[in-house]
Amino acid sequence: MKQISRMFILVFVVCFALIYLVNYMNRSEGYSGNNTLTIYNWGDYIDPELIERFESETGIKVIYQTFDSNEAMMTKIKQGGTTFDISIPSEYALDKMKAEGLLLPIDHNQLPNLKNIDPNFLDLSFDPNNEYSIPYFWGTVGVVYNPELVGDLTFESWDDLWNEQLDNKVFLLDGAREVIGMGLNSLGYSLNDTNEEHLQEALKKLSQLTPNVKAIVGDEIKMLMANEEAAAALVWSGDAREIMDENEKLDYIVPSEGSNLWFDNIVIPSTARNIEGAHQFINFMLDPEVAAQNTDYVGYSTPNDAALELLDEEISSDERFYPDEELTSRLEVYENLGPRMLSHYNELFLEFKMHRK
Amino acid sequence: MLNDKLKFSRIYLIAVFIVLYAPIVYLMVYSFNSGGTMTGFEGFTLDHYKEVMQDTRLLIIVLNTFVIALLSAAISTIIGVFGAIAIHFMRSKSKQTLLTLNNVLIVSPDVIIGASFLILFTIVGVKLGFVSVLLSHIAFSIPIVVIMVLPKLQEMNDSLIDAARDLGASTWHVIARVIMPFIKSGIFAGFFMALTYSLDDFAVTFFVTGNGYSTLAVEIYSRARQGVSLSINALSTLIFLFTILLVIGYYFINQRNNRLEDKGAKQ
Repeated sequence: MKQISRMFILVFVVCFALIYLVNYMNRSEGYSGNNTLTIYNWGDYIDPELIERFESETGIKVIYQTFDSNEAMMTKIKQGGTTFDISIPSEYALDKMKAEGLLLPIDHNQLPNLKNIDPNFLDLSFDPNNEYSIPYFWGTVGVVYNPELVGDLTFESWDDLWNEQLDNKVFLLDGAREVIGMGLNSLGYSLNDTNEEHLQEALKKLSQLTPNVKAIVGDEIKMLMANEEAAAALVWSGDAREIMDENEKLDYIVPSEGSNLWFDNIVIPSTARNIEGAHQFINFMLDPEVAAQNTDYVGYSTPNDAALELLDEEISSDERFYPDEELTSRLEVYENLGPRMLSHYNELFLEFKMHRK
Repeated sequence: MLNDKLKFSRIYLIAVFIVLYAPIVYLMVYSFNSGGTMTGFEGFTLDHYKEVMQDTRLLIIVLNTFVIALLSAAISTIIGVFGAIAIHFMRSKSKQTLLTLNNVLIVSPDVIIGASFLILFTIVGVKLGFVSVLLSHIAFSIPIVVIMVLPKLQEMNDSLIDAARDLGASTWHVIARVIMPFIKSGIFAGFFMALTYSLDDFAVTFFVTGNGYSTLAVEIYSRARQGVSLSINALSTLIFLFTILLVIGYYFINQRNNRLEDKGAKQ
């Protein structure tokens, strides 16, 4: 009994010492005051130096928390009990959040730096007039490939993925809209096509791809491609960038028939307390110099025109990640097709997956 | 023949340990890699350790994780031990029911437990953060402690208690002087199980954290989306070495105690 109680007393003493230490560290970081801003972001999706700079410029203390999927983030915000002032969902999640009333409107008068954003990236279908969101980063869907393993294929066209040389050498990412979208695009239809005939045609075309498909995978696609487990893969440009950082041999391309354009956006969730601080933060992130530094750190494509001019020529002229206007005009944003059409897409994708091999 | 068997079992054991420890060694080696990634070792550097030491937010998270683990393990051990004693002395029918309910909690997936805690806390109005994480960790640790302590209680001969009673011991005396010393090893086992469960729990914690409060598992998981940075390797190495030190320390203290007890018994 003596030994047990001694141990428990020791545990509690250690705990209180640790709690004291944490409080001390929090205080020295200045987290205890009321003037705080809670940011809920993807892991490693902002340059930490910028947060420090924002803190010293405005006197607001930033509490930074991370999530790993749009769905998880939405659940947290929907349930309440949290006070996130800023969050960064992808555009399809933004649509849902808007519909469920999880967002606060953004006051454009408080954002003088909004003028820096390329008008092409404003007023898009998922958020007309940018009432609730400001674009943060954007990207495309395309093919990442290993030039050593694909022979003379260049993937200028989606059809290259169908080439016999790629037998059992292609990864697809596990997303209904991405894969069905690729099928539609390769036939010259829109990504948001709801015509049943066109969809069936796309499914038929996709089923001809099956001998080439080695696997349909999730996030591990990055590791697998970097390790040269396959010759080519359908990926988001953000993933492609990371794959290419890991393995410099690989290359990325957006086929010329067109593809998807995706956005991550800054929003103010309905749980926000410090709304003025949130606006200050958004305005800060829109500053050309700040956005350029952040782009350097994160490595995705920035919608900030003024920042693009500050970036290295090598980055901003990289047509793989900043495609020319001709191709950009053929990129499409996913429209909200409504729950019925969406589940139809999912069914088609499931059918494609089941008929494999 | 016997020798052969022995040899085989040795080789088997060594193989198992290699499988268990190789990933950790791999991770530790790369924490010194001057190249930024886990593909290809480029040179020796201590930069990642410096980075960890300078990242105050990460250090706060590490401390939070340990506070939660120690506190929740201690509290759940106290509750769990008394729970186990209560279950042990129950009539057999309600005992079975309670044990089944206890086991259901152990086998039910973390995601479900986490989601239901999130719903409960938001209904009751508990602010998500330290308190909600602590409460949920205590809750999922209690069944584990109960299951670790119960076998020890079953091993105990009930006539010990009758004897103590006959000699005039009060209920508290029986618990403190007879039962507790007998089930001591079960209590420690329960405490350490609860500690490890709490340290590496991701799913439950993920649901109930909020407002800037985070634990290591949640933080590493969300950082891993962009590829695990080597500072995480450095941090993991530090924590691994720290635990090894603790285990070695515990071993030596135990040895000393045993020796003292042996001496005491001889005198």
